[in-house]
Amino acid sequence: MFRRRRRPVRVLLPGEKEGRRGFLKKGLLGAALLAAGGGSAWLATRKTRVRPGLRRLQVFDAAQLTVLLAVADRVIPDHPGFPRPADVDLPARVDAVAAMAHPATRVELRRLVTLFESGFGGLFDLSPRLFTDCDGAAQDRRLRGWMNSRIAVRRTGFKALKRLVAAAYYGSPATWKAVGYPGPPVGAELAAPRPPAPAVREEPPPPRPRRFRPAPVGIEPALPAAAGPGTGAASGD
Amino acid sequence: MAIEAPAGSGRILTGAEVRRDVEERPDVCVVGSGAGGAVAAARLAELGAQVVVLEEGPWHRPSDSTLREEDAYPRLYQERGQRATADLAIAILQGRAVGGSTTVNWTTSFRTPDRVLAHWARVHGVEGLTPEVLAPHFAAVEERLSIHEQPADEVNANNQALWDGAGALGWQRARTRRNVQGCANLGYCGMGCPIGARTSMDQSYLPDAVLRGARVYADARATRLEYKDRRGVAIHAEVLDPATGRPTGRKLVVRPRAVVLAGGAINTPALLLRSRLDISGRVGKRTFLHPVTAVTGLYRKAIEPWSGAPQSVTCHQFADRGPGKVGFFVETAPLHPMLAGMSLGGFGEAHEELASRLPNLSALIALTIDGFLPEERGGEVTVDGDGRVRVAYEVGDAVWEALREGSKAMARIHLAAGAEAAFSSHEETVEMRGEADVARLDRAPWERLRVELFSAHAMGGCAMGRDPDRSVVDSRLKMHGMDNIWVVDGSVFPTSLGVNPQLTIFGLARWAAGQIAPQIR
Ligand SMILES: Cc1cc2nc3c(=O)[nH]c(=O)nc-3n(C[C@H](O)[C@H](O)[C@H](O)COP(=O)(O)OP(=O)(O)OC[C@H]3O[C@@H](n4cnc5c(N)ncnc54)[C@H](O)[C@@H]3O)c2cc1C
Ligand code: SF4
Repeated sequence: MFRRRRRPVRVLLPGEKEGRRGFLKKGLLGAALLAAGGGSAWLATRKTRVRPGLRRLQVFDAAQLTVLLAVADRVIPDHPGFPRPADVDLPARVDAVAAMAHPATRVELRRLVTLFESGFGGLFDLSPRLFTDCDGAAQDRRLRGWMNSRIAVRRTGFKALKRLVAAAYYGSPATWKAVGYPGPPVGAELAAPRPPAPAVREEPPPPRPRRFRPAPVGIEPALPAAAGPGTGAASGD
Repeated sequence: MAIEAPAGSGRILTGAEVRRDVEERPDVCVVGSGAGGAVAAARLAELGAQVVVLEEGPWHRPSDSTLREEDAYPRLYQERGQRATADLAIAILQGRAVGGSTTVNWTTSFRTPDRVLAHWARVHGVEGLTPEVLAPHFAAVEERLSIHEQPADEVNANNQALWDGAGALGWQRARTRRNVQGCANLGYCGMGCPIGARTSMDQSYLPDAVLRGARVYADARATRLEYKDRRGVAIHAEVLDPATGRPTGRKLVVRPRAVVLAGGAINTPALLLRSRLDISGRVGKRTFLHPVTAVTGLYRKAIEPWSGAPQSVTCHQFADRGPGKVGFFVETAPLHPMLAGMSLGGFGEAHEELASRLPNLSALIALTIDGFLPEERGGEVTVDGDGRVRVAYEVGDAVWEALREGSKAMARIHLAAGAEAAFSSHEETVEMRGEADVARLDRAPWERLRVELFSAHAMGGCAMGRDPDRSVVDSRLKMHGMDNIWVVDGSVFPTSLGVNPQLTIFGLARWAAGQIAPQIR
């Protein structure tokens, strides 16, 4: 297996003292970085060509959003009836999904995207190029390489990317037609007369003792006189 | 400065209504308003106790439901719908709302199987929890929640496939009982029933508790349980903004005589760990998930798996597979676009092709019954330095074997029910068009992150039992070594359950409340 001496960029937050091994077990996407060694030095030397119109959002910067859009374009390639990811405003939706995660998870997601984009991530599948510089077939190879990797953290990385873009894409009502989903029931169906609500007692609650005095209960509590219909108490003990 | 909340009639308060720091001094503080917390709160209030309930999730009214996945999961689920094991191998669905998971669950209601109670007694030293002791509590809950069998003519096509397929194979099958009243079979249980027809806790036991004077704080997250010697003395909570879910800066402190922890599996252990209350080192251990895999069937006829009551048929043919084996049971899962898009295997053309057939897809799920073999330890919940809850769960060989055999059984059910093809949940999906193809599942990779797994049944982490060195709470659900702290939720199971858990938790909670009441002092 792959082993490198270089220390990966740490994503530990203040207060965390874990050393490298703890880190391996801890940060899930951090672990992907570890497996890849010092990929970050590589990354700095090469630049993603940002897609026009993309800008930094809450979690991802324009380059990372470019990568995610490229991933989405392969997860959801051109297919009759399916809107293009860009047309459902995938970058904004992906960012909104990621923004809901814990701050430390957001950091890991950013690192994952950058790592996936890097040629270094591609070393495993022998195509040391930026993901966004590859043609579709090569991009699919890289995705499949991570999906089927013998290294579990790579599969974790693939899963995170796929979940992120699939949630963002299929969460959009603009995709419903493509999958034959009519959308949630509206209007008439919901306006139908409300079914009876579960029985709730009409009488006011019994006065509460000022100090708690336990009702006489054993393993099978005897019922206090106050128990009324709707508590279900009558049927049991 | 903290003000003491005025005594007064019960109600549900949201985070928006708590504008200053508040201190409460009730008889009982219940943390969590789900299956365990709500029933315990209602019963304790009924027995005369003054109750305060803290719930970190929002108070979601039926009319709030937009019935869109993109709104529902972030609003009503733990970690905004993104909870999973640390390696992302198992997605974990758990509710986070007034009513807990019962506000989003699929309404299937089973009493605890006798053999499970017997196993807990024999292997885990659980004392006094017999079918006879629980029966009256089940009966009371079933009446209150109107739990009844789904009528045959209200079984949707997705569940009908399970009924037909299991029937054709001569396997055990049954219609499930559901906790609904006036259900219109809309199929959106998982997004919050829009008409309040499910008798979830927010529609039943919480109103009961409120009528008896209980105060329920929504948007109130317990962050720490303060204890001194053998007593829990205070629960510290932060108030969240209902619109954003972020802390408003307001604090809530509850100083009760008795503490009932009911945050559910994963969160109750996490609260104890954050509070550094883990006497025997067992908190968070033995966390079980009923790890689930799906097999999707493609039918010529319309299934519309989003429509109709999500679960109404169950097959327990393989629940008990003999010594040394992990059993499983087969049910169905509703499919809506987002969940389908995330969980169908692979990516690209084939993935889209299958997604585009959504109206003709039926999803069967096999739930594996983990935790009954001597070697099974289950998962472990820990809390990271950065505050994240971490669930580590390694799927053992016996569970993998059950997932594989479960997938075969599901493929056979689909094919027997007339499906054109059945698809395993592998990333490199196994497509099966006939019995000959089913054997290909033997050669498929049964390894984490090569096959999609999920769980909607987190259990354990505060196991009950006699031995304080091996369990967290005793058979009366009181924490070992503490005088006034009880755990009343799914985390007390020493194993998984073999059936959907809610009714077991309701029954246990109603029973436990009777144990707790006389000990409040
Ligand atoms: C999608 C889905 C479908 C399901 N379908 C079924 C089904 O059909 N049948 C069935 O039997 N079971 C089903 N279940 C499972 C069932 O709902 C749960 O097992 C059950 O509700 C668990 O009860 P509980 O009391 O342990 O926890 P929950 O019901 O989950 O309640 C715990 C509550 O505590 C709150 N909480 C946690 N931590 C804190 C804190 N620190 N401070 C304040 N509040 C906190 C949570 O927000 C939550 O609301 C389903 C679950 C899901 C998610
Ligand atoms: S099936 Fe529909 S109407 Fe019935 S309980 Fe579920 S969401 Fe409500």
